[in-house]
Amino acid sequence: MSVNYFEEEEFSTEFNGKTILRLLKQLKPHWLYMAGVGVSIAAVALADNVFTLLNKQLIDNGIIAGNPEVIKSVLLKYGGLTIMQAFMVFGFIYLLGLVGEKVQYSLRQHLFNHLQRLSLSYYSVTPVGWIISRVTSDVGRVSDLLTWGILDTTWGILNISIALVFMMTINWRMALIVLLFVPVLVFVAVKFRSKILAQYREVRKQNSKITGQYNEMITGVRVIKSLGREKQSLDEFKVETSAMYRASVRAAILSALFLPSIQFLSSFALAAVIYFAGWQFDNNIGGLTIGGIQAFVSYVTFMLWPIFDMARIFAEMQMAVASAERIFSLIDSVPTITNADNATDPGSIAQDITFENVTFWYDDDAEKTPVLKDFNLTVRKGETIALVGPTGGGKTTTVNLLARFYEPKQGTIKIGDRDYRDYTLHSIHSRLGVVLQTPHLFSGSVRENIRYGRLDATNEEIEEAAKLAGAHEFIMKMPKQYEEEVGESGNLLSVGQKQLISLARAILADPEIFIMDEATSSVDTLTEALIQKAMDRLLEKCTSFVIAHRLSTIKNADRILVIEEGQIKEMGTHAELIKRGGKYFQLYTKQFRHQMEAALDPYARAETLPVAD
Amino acid sequence: MKVSKEKEFNLQNIVGARKIRALMYMMHGYELKYFLAAVAIAISSMSRTATYLILQYFIDDYLTMHTAQFGLAWIALSFVILALLTGVTSYVSGKFTAETAEGTTRRLRDYLFDHLQHLPFMYHNQTDTGEMIQRSTSDVDTLRRFYANNGIELIRTVILFAVNFGAIASLNLRLALISIIVMPIIVAVSAVFFKRIGKAYEKYQEKEAALSTTLQENLSGVRVVKAFARQQYEIEKFDANNVEKYQSGRRLNLMHAMFWPMSDLICGAQMLVGFLIGGTMAINGTITVGTYMAYAGLIGWIIWPMRNLGRLIVEVSRGFVSFDRVTEIIKNNREPLDEGDYTPDKVEGKLVFNDVGFSYEDGVPVLEQISFDVQPGQSVALLGSTGSGKTTLVNLLPRFFEYTTGSITLDGVELKRYPRKILRQHIGTVEQEPFLFSRTIRENILYGVGKHVSEEEMIEAAKAAAIHDVILTFPNGYDTMVGERGVTLSGGQKQRVAIARTLLKNPKILVMDDSTSSVDTETESQIREALDNLMENRTTFIIAHRIQSIMNADQILVLDDKKIIQAGQHEQLLQEEEGMYRHIFDIQTRIEEELKKEIESVS
Repeated sequence: MSVNYFEEEEFSTEFNGKTILRLLKQLKPHWLYMAGVGVSIAAVALADNVFTLLNKQLIDNGIIAGNPEVIKSVLLKYGGLTIMQAFMVFGFIYLLGLVGEKVQYSLRQHLFNHLQRLSLSYYSVTPVGWIISRVTSDVGRVSDLLTWGILDTTWGILNISIALVFMMTINWRMALIVLLFVPVLVFVAVKFRSKILAQYREVRKQNSKITGQYNEMITGVRVIKSLGREKQSLDEFKVETSAMYRASVRAAILSALFLPSIQFLSSFALAAVIYFAGWQFDNNIGGLTIGGIQAFVSYVTFMLWPIFDMARIFAEMQMAVASAERIFSLIDSVPTITNADNATDPGSIAQDITFENVTFWYDDDAEKTPVLKDFNLTVRKGETIALVGPTGGGKTTTVNLLARFYEPKQGTIKIGDRDYRDYTLHSIHSRLGVVLQTPHLFSGSVRENIRYGRLDATNEEIEEAAKLAGAHEFIMKMPKQYEEEVGESGNLLSVGQKQLISLARAILADPEIFIMDEATSSVDTLTEALIQKAMDRLLEKCTSFVIAHRLSTIKNADRILVIEEGQIKEMGTHAELIKRGGKYFQLYTKQFRHQMEAALDPYARAETLPVAD
Repeated sequence: MKVSKEKEFNLQNIVGARKIRALMYMMHGYELKYFLAAVAIAISSMSRTATYLILQYFIDDYLTMHTAQFGLAWIALSFVILALLTGVTSYVSGKFTAETAEGTTRRLRDYLFDHLQHLPFMYHNQTDTGEMIQRSTSDVDTLRRFYANNGIELIRTVILFAVNFGAIASLNLRLALISIIVMPIIVAVSAVFFKRIGKAYEKYQEKEAALSTTLQENLSGVRVVKAFARQQYEIEKFDANNVEKYQSGRRLNLMHAMFWPMSDLICGAQMLVGFLIGGTMAINGTITVGTYMAYAGLIGWIIWPMRNLGRLIVEVSRGFVSFDRVTEIIKNNREPLDEGDYTPDKVEGKLVFNDVGFSYEDGVPVLEQISFDVQPGQSVALLGSTGSGKTTLVNLLPRFFEYTTGSITLDGVELKRYPRKILRQHIGTVEQEPFLFSRTIRENILYGVGKHVSEEEMIEAAKAAAIHDVILTFPNGYDTMVGERGVTLSGGQKQRVAIARTLLKNPKILVMDDSTSSVDTETESQIREALDNLMENRTTFIIAHRIQSIMNADQILVLDDKKIIQAGQHEQLLQEEEGMYRHIFDIQTRIEEELKKEIESVS
């Protein structure tokens, strides 16, 4: 739910000219299309009004004059105009829709490209849901404003102006009366619309609360049942549905009132027109004809539609501008980790790595509590380092800094004898192999996921990597083998299978530095052994950092670091640290029991007990 | 009065009924309002139509023939009055429609919520959470739209058409008939169009969903992307999705761009024919100028409903689909909480299992031949592998699952005679990682206690559960929201909150899930202490994985493959050399030895 609250946060904007200008710039590449839209909508607005004039002619010169020829000729024009208008309607819907899609396309692409550049620190403070809303719903809202918003406004203004001009030519006195009403109508309509919109916002808020309650009830149904809380939980739910009821009914009634109340207001204009027309007609002033009266009635009745449309646009504009500001705020956020001006590619990063007095805190921490304090470490090329220690002690931060997902706040990290900030990000990242605790796969086939490690790998190389990772066997057992879809985020595979595939991916990448965060979740013994073998291969070749949970990894490491409270508390080989009998000793014995139990699975009733490593 | 009415309301009545009748039943109690809304719509459309007839009167009787009985002011005023009438009736219809739709939906939401929490455990185990939520929210909303928009729109459309057609017919029947020539064409064209556009729109949304998935995966896998330096690859992947969405958007747009002018042309042709014949009739004197003008105004109001009808038909059919999806949930039967005739005020906690068996609906057995008994206050440990049936066994106690054979008695009375509600009041459960609600810690502790608890009592319980001190370190103490930013409770802490909750509930029978051993060493002793406090004076079932935590149990049951294979106390079971218990114990002893050896080998 917290994501939702983040989302509901409203940018308090009045009328930000800068944002609007920047918004309009989005249309610049499509100006030709927009010009086409302008021409066709002008033609449509003109035609709308000419129809009324034609009707006037039909009545005055045709019916009242008793001339069937005029009827025919007027209707001919009418038909021609209808066809012309149909083409124009096609034109603006087509062009405008195209512009809308193009604007959306390029905004989305722009946002996505920028997101790829942003540093991990951005992601750690921004919920994924929030970003997704920017790229989907906000982009949609902005493009709607830029297309249909502009169109409706243009059409509305043109329509009313043309109608007023025509009215002026028919009878300027009556036209003036109508002119007086227009601003009143527009004002009331806009105010009304904003009210409706605010009420619907309330409805949406309430709606997400209801969804939240459903979610909680369903996931916690066991607790509700065992505590016999059904009645209370329904009562609590009813409070929300009742609030929803009230908010929705209020919103619906407001919407229902909108149209008739504006119509009611405009009926005064109509009454005034009729009254004045009758009076002029009776007294023979202004040469008003019956057709002229009809024209006025049509103009006044029809004028409501552009007003409605414009009211909607103005009311929604504030929201769309807020959307635009959120989009721009994303685009304007600066990546914290970038290449230095003279950064180079060293060609290889297989060298010694040194942490010198490294201190680090996360950006979202206002108190700047260091997660690593004065951290010093030298790792020789090819060494395998196992990191152990409690959660929150600083293990993950250490590898995050090493991988240059973050950079030290104080102190330096050196690759060889140079600060790694002298090298390009790409030169470091492209030579890393990373396997995360919860392996992340992408929708697509198994093959595509392994190929992620090296895009130009051949199918043979992919299978080779899968074999080395011990993944080949289970892949071949799947119905479509390497073409098997892994599902969204790899959901169709088990955790163990995902790990094997992410190992194969890392093997294919042929990294110089290997970073692994071992999974704590247990997998079956066979998979466990396979993972072990695959890891050994990588550990052997690369300088490796493993956040270790498996005893074998820990024991086989060249050096073990016990990291706690942002510092190295103990360091040495397995034997050294066991002899010391300190923190590592405790950690180890606990882990030993834990792992042996899992390995020996007493329930397996196995005659041959697996041997401990 | 209203309460009793709502009690009778049982949506299961609609299962299998015809859709229209079912939808009528759903809005039971609101029929009159909905009907009045329709009447108000009728009045409102008539008053709008009357505007044109007054126009006719104004032109013919006032301006042309000067026979009008009413003065100019009256005529002008009547426009305002009619607009007012339209306004008032629109308001009435809007209000009644909203009350019907929202009231129906509120009741449906409440019903579904209650229904879901009363559905048996089995249902929840087998059904995807997302699916349940989807049906209870977006499908319910589609149904709401059915009542709030589509249903009433359909009525409005029909009334508008009828009223205006009637009005034109009263002016001149021939004109009226001529004005609806295109009706079948326009209805058919729009029905086909909206059906097709519905499909195109679905496709568009699929593309949008694919785009969101790619985005979502990219964002949540940002470390992988960065670690492999695959930004460019990701950009291209996203671009491919983006282009697809763009193209399907374009296709959708093209359909719109084709349809609207086309339907404009059909309607335009209709208008032309009407004007031509109307005009000719006016010249011939068959109709008056005023009649022609009224006709010219009214014709728009019969074309609009014709245009609208096709769209409505398609949308109504969409509502039907959601209706089916919602009834999928409703048709499952609730678990009767009050069923049972034995309602003691308190229980002792003596349990006897006699040849109990349980199998799923499809006949797959999960438990067989389970027999043992427990004296009040005793503890029973269940040991066994995953899938051996130990969780199912404890689920039989609160009647989450109904044993299919044999008998279980509580204090000598068959379990099935206890209403589930009563039974569950006397049984407390503490899971390894219990579910906490996103409310304050206080509310979570007091959740389900079912009686007034003083602040002191709550703190007392929290202390006994060894969680009080932890809670005090949180910024808002007991009023800290669970899951609030920065406050994440560890598994062990959650468990202790649940222990405090259970202590307050004070059940006679306790079920504890201790099957996966917690990794956190520091808290293990605290949890142990809290659990010991909790077990005092209660009949306790412990689901365990390690022997250490159950050695002191009064009775240990070893389960394997649906059956109890060993039963007794620790010492006793150790004597059975070939038994699984001994086997487990040996392994655990062996682990300790290996550990010792391991350490010695290093030193």
